[in-house]
Amino acid sequence: MSGAANMTMTRCDWFNLDILGARMRISRIAAVLIVAAACLMLQSSLTLAQSRPPELAANSRVIIDYIDPRLQRSQATMERLKKRQVLEDLSMFLSPLKLPRVLRVRTKSCGQVNAFYVPAEWAINLCYEFYENLEAIAPNKPTPQGYTRDEVIIGGFIDAIFHELGHALFDMLNIPVFGREEDGADQLSAFLMLQFGKDVARTTIKGAAFTYLSAKNPRTRTEFAAEHGAPAQRFFNYLCLAYGGEPEAFKEFVDQNILPKSRAESCTREFHQVRRAFAKTILPHIDQDLMKRVQSIQWLRPSDGKQ
Amino acid sequence: MNGITRLALALALIAATLWAAPLQAQPTFGPSKPGGPEAGKPAPGKVFRPSGSETAAAPALPDGDWGNFLVDVAYNEPKDPQFLPIRERLMRRQALEQLRLFLSPLKLPRKLLVQIDQCNAERRPYQPGGAVTICYEYIAKVDQTAPRNQPPDGLPREMMMVGAFVQAVLHEVAIAVFDVLEIPVWGRESDAADKLAGFIMVQFGRDVALKVIVGASWFFDASDRAWSETDFASEQSPEAQRFYNYLCIAFGADPASFKFLIDQKMLPERRAQRCTNEFYALRLAFAKTVLPHVDQQLLKRVQAATWLMLDEPK
Repeated sequence: MSGAANMTMTRCDWFNLDILGARMRISRIAAVLIVAAACLMLQSSLTLAQSRPPELAANSRVIIDYIDPRLQRSQATMERLKKRQVLEDLSMFLSPLKLPRVLRVRTKSCGQVNAFYVPAEWAINLCYEFYENLEAIAPNKPTPQGYTRDEVIIGGFIDAIFHELGHALFDMLNIPVFGREEDGADQLSAFLMLQFGKDVARTTIKGAAFTYLSAKNPRTRTEFAAEHGAPAQRFFNYLCLAYGGEPEAFKEFVDQNILPKSRAESCTREFHQVRRAFAKTILPHIDQDLMKRVQSIQWLRPSDGKQ
Repeated sequence: MNGITRLALALALIAATLWAAPLQAQPTFGPSKPGGPEAGKPAPGKVFRPSGSETAAAPALPDGDWGNFLVDVAYNEPKDPQFLPIRERLMRRQALEQLRLFLSPLKLPRKLLVQIDQCNAERRPYQPGGAVTICYEYIAKVDQTAPRNQPPDGLPREMMMVGAFVQAVLHEVAIAVFDVLEIPVWGRESDAADKLAGFIMVQFGRDVALKVIVGASWFFDASDRAWSETDFASEQSPEAQRFYNYLCIAFGADPASFKFLIDQKMLPERRAQRCTNEFYALRLAFAKTVLPHVDQQLLKRVQAATWLMLDEPK
C-alpha cells in the first residue's frame, strides 16, 4: 500500500491551463509560461508519462452534482471546479471501492465555510465557501516555513474531500472506530495522501497541515469539549503520519523541530496503526486490481490550485 | 465558576443523594444483553464484598481460581523508598489480583505481564510485545493531587485515588489489548484506550460508573497543566479533553443517571448532544473488535461481581 507509484508528478494537461480565465494578469501569464515550459520539458523526457487509462470507469455508486450556487460570486468557483472535473475525477478515484449503497458527493453553497457528511442522505457536501476560503488563506508567496499557495489550495481541498469520505465510509461500511471519529477521518485522509508517491504526499499533506496551522486553538476549558481535536493536534497528527509513512520526504519537519522529536519517535508506530486499521476495515471493500491502477495515475495537474 | 468548583458541587450532590441510598438494581449497558438470569451465576455482591470496616482488609478472593491465567501481575520493588507505602497499599488491596480476575473473560493469545514499577517518569508507554506498566510516580501524583481535609459532605479523596488508578490501569491494558489482539484502531491510540477504558467502566451499573468515571474525571479536572504550541504535539490528549471524553461516555451510556453533568454545566450542551451517538459508535467498535475475544459466560460472572468499594484507609 505504501510506496505506491512514485513517479514524477505533473500530468501536463493543456486544456486546463485556460482555467486562469479573465482575471489573468502579467505575472500570471509569466507563471503560465514557466509552467508551460516546465511541462514541455517534462513531457519530452517522460514519453511514457502515465495518464488516466480511458477504461478506468467512474464508480457507478457515486453520484456527483455541481449544484448552482446561491451567490453570484460562487458562480466562478463552481465553473472552475466543473471545468477541472473535480467530482468526475473523484468518482474515478473511488472506482475500486465497493459501496453497499449510493454515495452522493456534491459541491454547493452552504452559507458557511465547511465541508460535511450528512448521514441521513448518505451525502458529502463540499461548500463553495470552503474552497473560496482556501483561496483566501493560501499565501501568495511561499511562507518562510515553505508552504506554497498551490499546496494549501490543493491539499486543503483534497483533505476536506478525503476527511468527509472517511466519515462516509465509517458510516456506510459500519467500521469500528475506537478513537475520536474526527481523528479517524483525518487519519484516513492522510493515509490516502501517502499512497501516491512522495511528491503528491508532500503537496497534499503540507497543504492540509497548513490549514490547521492557521486555525485558532482552544484556550478556555469548555473549548476543549469540542468533538474535533485542537487544530494544533491535527497539524501534528498529519505530519506524524506523513513522517511515519514517508520518513525521507518529511524528514525536514523533524530536522527543523516543527515535528518535535518526542512525537516523531512514535510516528512509525502510528503509521502502522493506521495501515492496520485500513487493511482490516476498508481494504476488504476494495477491488485491489483497480486500486493499483488508481495508484498509477497522476491525479494532480500543474494547473491545480491556480485560478 | 471553574470546573473544579462545579465538579465539587455536583459530586456533593451525588454523594448526598445516591450514596445514601445505593441502587439495588443496576442497569447494564453491555453490547450483548444477557438473555436472563442464569443458573450458577453468583449473586451480585458475592465476590468482592466491601470490608465495611475502617481497617482496610483485603477483599475476599473468591473460591477457586478463575483469574486470567495468561495475565501475570507484579508489584516491583521501587528503588526509591518513598514509593514503598504505595506498593504496600496496592498489595494489601490486591489491586492487581483483582485486575487478573476482572480480565478473566478476555481470551489472550499470549501472556501479558501487568506490573507496577518505578519508571522515573509518570508513564512508561507500552511497547508492542512488552509489559503493561503503571508507574509509582503516577500513583504518587494522584495521591498528591487528591485533596485532604474534605468537608464532611464533600467527596472522599479515595474516590479520586481509586478512579484515577482504575483509569490508568484500564487505559494501559487497553493499549496492550489493541496490540495483542491486533485490533484495528481508527483515531489516536491514546484516545481509543480512554474510550475502551470508559466503556468498561460503565458496564458495571450506575454505582461503579459514577465512582470510577467521576473519580477519574476529577483527577483530570484537577490538572493545572496549561497546553500551548508544541504541547499539542503530544500523543496524549490534553487533560481537559480527556475529562470531557470520560464524562461524555458516561452520559452517552446512561443519560438519566448522568443528566446532572449537564444541569451543573460540567458537560456543555453542544457536546452532550453528541454523546449518545459517540457511545453507539464505541459500542459498535467494542462489539466488532473486542467482544469476539471475550468469554461470554465469564463476562456475565465478572459483571455480576461487586467491584471497587471505597474502603480505602482514611
